[in-house]
Amino acid sequence: MATKVIENERTAMAQHMTRQPDGPGKRIGKKGEISGIGKVAPGGAKLFRERLPQIQAEAAYWETRVGTVHDFRVTLIDDDTRILFTIVFDGDFKPYVADILNEAAPWLDQIFLGVWDGFKGTNDRKSVEELLSFAFECDLFFVRNPDVTVRDVAKMQRLSGAVAELFDAAT
Amino acid sequence: MADTTTLTTHVPTLEVSDIQATVLRPRPSPYLGQYVILRIDDAAQGREMLRRMIPHVAPADEWWVPSLAGWLGIAFTFEGLKALELPQASLDSFPIEFKQGMAARAAILHDVGGNAPANWEYPFGTTDAHIALAIYAQNEQDLQRVLELARRTHHDLAQISVVYRMPFGELPEGRNPFGFKDGLHNPQIEGSAPAAHGGSDAPIKAGEFVMGYPDQLGETAQAPIPAELRQNGTFVALRKFHMDVAAFRRYLREQASSSEEEELLAAKMVGRWRSGAPLVLAPDRDDPALGADAKGNNDFSYADDRKGLKCPFSAHVRRVNPRDALKDDIVDVDSHRFIRRGTNYGPPLPEGVLEDDGAERGGVFLLIGAHQRQQFEFVQSQWVADGNFISHGTEQDPLIGNNEGDGVFTIPKVPVRRRLHGLPRFVAVRGGEYCFMPGLRALRWLAGLGEDAEQTASH
Ligand code: HEM
Repeated sequence: MATKVIENERTAMAQHMTRQPDGPGKRIGKKGEISGIGKVAPGGAKLFRERLPQIQAEAAYWETRVGTVHDFRVTLIDDDTRILFTIVFDGDFKPYVADILNEAAPWLDQIFLGVWDGFKGTNDRKSVEELLSFAFECDLFFVRNPDVTVRDVAKMQRLSGAVAELFDAAT
Repeated sequence: MADTTTLTTHVPTLEVSDIQATVLRPRPSPYLGQYVILRIDDAAQGREMLRRMIPHVAPADEWWVPSLAGWLGIAFTFEGLKALELPQASLDSFPIEFKQGMAARAAILHDVGGNAPANWEYPFGTTDAHIALAIYAQNEQDLQRVLELARRTHHDLAQISVVYRMPFGELPEGRNPFGFKDGLHNPQIEGSAPAAHGGSDAPIKAGEFVMGYPDQLGETAQAPIPAELRQNGTFVALRKFHMDVAAFRRYLREQASSSEEEELLAAKMVGRWRSGAPLVLAPDRDDPALGADAKGNNDFSYADDRKGLKCPFSAHVRRVNPRDALKDDIVDVDSHRFIRRGTNYGPPLPEGVLEDDGAERGGVFLLIGAHQRQQFEFVQSQWVADGNFISHGTEQDPLIGNNEGDGVFTIPKVPVRRRLHGLPRFVAVRGGEYCFMPGLRALRWLAGLGEDAEQTASH
């Protein structure tokens, strides 16, 4: 049984927690989270480590184009028998799944195909659905600046760069 | 030479004689009509009505043949299919959004505030809306004739009731109540002739709009079952909107210092001038000749307006159909297209009037596609009711977003952008339903349920 929160000066800063409108995943403001755990396919761990340098090197390219992902981790756990992913992203999750599968398929297949047991590739929608059915919501979630999206940050950086230039020019 | 022949054989010919006219053909102009919603309290009577109705349902090939007094489109809600006693396996095979119904999807659609189902008209969002009829005609006399035909399909069937009736008609010059020319753009559907309009955008695979053909991913729909039921059918997101024309005019008046500026702001919100001329092609002043040119007014992209200086990123048409504007992002724009069949209702608010006269006026949209989650639902929730995809934070569509007096609208400009504040709600949803619009053979299959449905439903 969950116990009641005892109000104090620290709980005064508690964040308003909501959920994804259409599936698992906690949400604070604009930011949401989701994770998943699967079994590693036979030989999958070796394959994953071989591919890792390339996947890692391309991560920024693919995720920048997705444009809504704050951070994404994939790791083998339990002596390479299981694989875990976790994502923190902006906005709704489900509506974008199909687009990301269509557009970032080569990269996602490098990560999961042959590694996540039972996964038949991004172009097998049934198998994608199965993989996503393993997705779950975390218990504890915190994000700083819940209303600031990845795109907002990029915009603010551009803006502050421009302002700095302006000040530099003026002095 | 050989190449072109192989290419054309790969384009499946649409069975236009089996697809409902509403799906493939634009409404007539001028148009007049009525939406009717029926409730079925007895499945056998429902099927009897359907049998009588089928001869009057227009297929896309006979669209507007002169002998036709008018044309009738028919679609079913999930509740309606249940009332017709569709076998359970078939009911279960429909997509989730259709089974849940539009009202239940409010959180996903961001239908809050003035758009919330709590504010909808009866019978929208209740279990009483079963069959939606869209009846179009060219004049009042023809309309009455088709309505009479429709009435006779159930006048002696006590368990069929009309729960909703809504007349609609074209406003002067084919404008919507806000004064914009409408019904201009629709996707080109591969294999469907004649082209609905001009324009340079590539055709979209027919399977995006009609089941039974390959879609953009090369897949052909496998559900709902059986195949007889889904072949040449599709889904319709029906939305009835109220438009607060006086509020729109007042807002423009407050923000602008001249009538020219009012027109410019109105165009910036929509992305087209009231004449239909797109801002990308006519950035500074209206070009009525372009607006009237059905080919020319769709022949544009956002390639040379990457900064939104001509058409703001947030403008209605740039949001709902970004064309090539998002080509650097991971978004499959072609999978978010749908066919739009809009009709307007209510009297025009007389020119110059800034106070609401209390009249009900607005539009009813039929947004048609085979994958509504990717189509209407995606566009509504991600592109209309949010602004993150264009780096605009929570800014919504200036015309149809959920603005409640706190809306903002960003107009890119050099040296500094202009940002309008305090946008009120101009448009409110009065009701909505997801409907299944079957092909003609499927209608006969539905009407014959009970005779042979049990064995075929197991496909
Ligand atoms: C009362 C509500 C609405 C009003 C007043 C409105 C108004 C307009 C106008 C004036 C145009 C330009 C002319 C045309 O092509 O027809 C347009 C285009 C369009 N609208 Fe809407 N609209 C409304 C609702 C919606 C909704 C709910 C959607 C979808 C979620 C939508 C999707 C589109 C699309 C896809 C286009 C074509 C864009 C293009 O030309 O590239 N509209 N709308």
